[in-house]
Amino acid sequence: MFVISVIAFSIQDNLGDPLRELVGQSVSEAERQNLRNQMGLNDPFAIQYWRFLNKAIYGDLGTSYFFKRPALDVILDKLPATLELVFGSTLIIILFSVPIGVFAAIYPRNWFFRLVMGLSIVGISIPVFLTAILSIYIFSVELGWLPSFGRGETVNFYGWTVGFLTRDGLLHLILPCVALSSIMLPLFIRLIRGEMMEVLESDYIRFAWAKGLSLRRIWFLHALKNTLLPVITVGGLQIGTLIAFTILTETVFQWPGMGFLFLEAVNRVDTPLIVAYLIVVGLIFVIANTLVDLIYGLVNPTVRLARTTQDGE
Amino acid sequence: MGLLEVQNLEVTFPTRRGDLVALRDVSFSVEAGERLGIVGESGAGKSVAAFAILNLVSRPGYISSGKILFEGTDLSKLNPQEMRHIRGNRISMIFQDPMMTMNPVLTVGVQMTEALHAHREISAEKARSLAIQTLARVHIPSPEKRFDQFPHELSGGMRQRVVIATSLLTEPSLIIADEPTTALDVTIQAEIMDLLLELCELSQVGLILITHDLGVISQVTQHAIVMYAGRVVESGPIREMVQNAQHPYTRGLISALPQQTTPGKRLNQIPGVMPSLTNIPNGCAFHPRCELVMDNCQTRFPEFKIKGKKRVACHAVDADMLNGHSNPGQDEV
Amino acid sequence: MFSKAWKRFQESYLYYSFCRDRIAIISFVILCIFVLASFSASLLAPYDPYDPLQIDIMDSEIPPLWVGDGDSRFILGTDAQGRDLLSTILYGSRISLTIGVFAVLLQAFLGVSIGLISGYFGGRLDNFLMRLADIQLSFSTLMVAIIFLAVFQALFGTELYEQMAILMLVLVIGIAEWPHYARTVRASVLAEKKKEYVDAVRVIGLGPLRIMFKHILPNTLSPIMVISTVQIANAIVSEAALSFLGLGMPVTKPSLGSLINSGFEFIFSGSWWITIIPGIVLVVLVLVMNLLGDFLRDVMNPKLYKH
Repeated sequence: MFVISVIAFSIQDNLGDPLRELVGQSVSEAERQNLRNQMGLNDPFAIQYWRFLNKAIYGDLGTSYFFKRPALDVILDKLPATLELVFGSTLIIILFSVPIGVFAAIYPRNWFFRLVMGLSIVGISIPVFLTAILSIYIFSVELGWLPSFGRGETVNFYGWTVGFLTRDGLLHLILPCVALSSIMLPLFIRLIRGEMMEVLESDYIRFAWAKGLSLRRIWFLHALKNTLLPVITVGGLQIGTLIAFTILTETVFQWPGMGFLFLEAVNRVDTPLIVAYLIVVGLIFVIANTLVDLIYGLVNPTVRLARTTQDGE
Repeated sequence: MGLLEVQNLEVTFPTRRGDLVALRDVSFSVEAGERLGIVGESGAGKSVAAFAILNLVSRPGYISSGKILFEGTDLSKLNPQEMRHIRGNRISMIFQDPMMTMNPVLTVGVQMTEALHAHREISAEKARSLAIQTLARVHIPSPEKRFDQFPHELSGGMRQRVVIATSLLTEPSLIIADEPTTALDVTIQAEIMDLLLELCELSQVGLILITHDLGVISQVTQHAIVMYAGRVVESGPIREMVQNAQHPYTRGLISALPQQTTPGKRLNQIPGVMPSLTNIPNGCAFHPRCELVMDNCQTRFPEFKIKGKKRVACHAVDADMLNGHSNPGQDEV
Repeated sequence: MFSKAWKRFQESYLYYSFCRDRIAIISFVILCIFVLASFSASLLAPYDPYDPLQIDIMDSEIPPLWVGDGDSRFILGTDAQGRDLLSTILYGSRISLTIGVFAVLLQAFLGVSIGLISGYFGGRLDNFLMRLADIQLSFSTLMVAIIFLAVFQALFGTELYEQMAILMLVLVIGIAEWPHYARTVRASVLAEKKKEYVDAVRVIGLGPLRIMFKHILPNTLSPIMVISTVQIANAIVSEAALSFLGLGMPVTKPSLGSLINSGFEFIFSGSWWITIIPGIVLVVLVLVMNLLGDFLRDVMNPKLYKH
């Protein structure tokens, strides 16, 4: 987090002259210098950074140039939209990749699963934005089944604007979520299948067979638990990519979320907004990674602090 | 009718270059409470034979012919459901490396009690207490603590004891132990072997011990078969085999033991190496390395010469030669 | 000397499996066609899309030949400004490929060096470098690239940016992905370090640099080769994504990504080819490289390089 905040701040400091944005061109040089002094813009970097941190802790990340509102508020406003996307996609990924990956490993010669594996290479090769565009083209323009932009109807849910509680909102959610998951899904299917196939060859699975355990138990307890370990790790790494991809997806679908906001902010050189986005994303990122680490530690017993070290005979 | 009778077992592995026969015409039997040893070098097919009994030969291998009669039923003809009732229940198996055998993400307790739950109606508390009792039987200190631990928290020797305990839980009639001590420290090996012996004698459980270590075989088992390149070359009571081995390979193995050599002299070796499955010589597979090789050794695999309980597959051995004829300079191994 | 190396290659396992794998052969052929076609774009393309004199706005939005009112002058149709799509795609592919290859060269150079140093010297340096790699990896290339380019563009204005675009893209993608190489190489180095020949060579008294480059490096080449194909594919995709967002190649000197971007709005008005055709070209290019990468990975060593 520290790294992120320093980077974010130095960007703010160097990017665009906030004074010019606030005051316009017609102020004289002397006055401008005066204002700069007042605003503390001429102080050394460290002091400015400290001030920045102080304000940030209280939630004040500066005021957006464009929206003329506190940057943090603007971002938080759009947060639910992006979160919907992210949760929707994650749900799709988990729901589909685990069963498909597992069964593709158990029945590798089955025609259906071979087809799936073949398609997955194609899936990995199509960039997210292209899937988004293609799906819009096919489902929206040609077939007219699903809406192609925006969020549809939203409803107020405990103070957050939420889309998935309305049917229209759900319809709008489908294409973007599918598009967002389109790269991760094949990746995870392949990963799970690969891991599972390796696990199935291991000695302890053979021993489980020798114990006469039921198929279901062997596959879904013994094998699956071991398979999921590296998958969780990879999942953690992919969170960053997922968030980056939301920027792409939101752009294509005109989805009013943080990513879209960020891009616009970049185009407008709305520095406080850029900074605020980076910090919020950084925070989400850190939280998510910590969660993943925790989950991994819970599932993998060798990682937990050993209560006893190895005992002798 | 014995406990287990394997008749003319043949196991084949289909490969892109044709079928590889891993086991050919393998036969042996175990009576109730009896202990049989299967000796041979790595790659001779000992483990394959063991897995074949439980129909666990790694794919794409399969049993191409022969019978495996367990208490009268031919195991090779059972469907997966029926086979499942035998595995871990009537016949248990112990693998070589306990670290790889136990699932690292599940506790010892889970891995033990699941064997019980899979084959009997039993409550969780009863299963737990039974498991802990059995852990005590295999001399594991503080078994209640171990029950909730994970495999990596135990030492190698303890893990193998846990595996042995697991195999005893269902009170099987037969235990197959595939090189149970090879992965362990030498000091622990003896303890584990003693433990196995003690438990089998106590509960009258049949044991098939697979190993490359002749010394262990002679101390633990009552009968043994010697395998070479997928076939049985000699079998019989262990005493007689050790004192009076007939097949050149067996004699080579025995004389290669360090105890056979006078101190200071070079160890006896059998020249050459055992052939791999893909290029087994014609006739008797041992003939390139055999000191008694004759003409027909290269063309025909010898039939078994039988005398009482002894069987030898060697052209150079006569049926009447199966009496008396000790190996030079040795009495006990 | 080349003939000897060629002969050794012919006898290698790699060549053997290659000739037996139909998919690998087809992919390789397609890739070669691509590379050749795009690099001889100036010879092959019917028009020069950068020459404003050759573009007539009246020619804009003409569909490809096989659709309705196609024009035989423009086989694949034209875009919104009247540029021939075939030519633009050819030139665009060239840009995409160039950026991809150079970015990967940079990544490889950085990553391999860091990986070698980190793995060989170990200790605190290793810890620090790997931590750095972890942080960067978890951020994902795209994020890093977007931030970097956005900042750059804002700082220096769009005009300067357009001129520097290729360089910037190569730099950014190159710097963003070094952890991949570093990690893989480091793993190899650690494995090799344990082998006896390293001790033997050290005992003779060779300095670390020499050991690293002459002895350890050749053994790490196979994993490097395996990831390289996929990395080039990824670099091309990243560049396309960035251009699509407007942060990459400008519209005046388009790569496949910016082509797709410029055509996007026209999907709704019916001129689908402006976006879809470059899109398909991009997918095929990337797909082919991924397939080759897969093949390489299966051949070299299925277990070790599972990224």
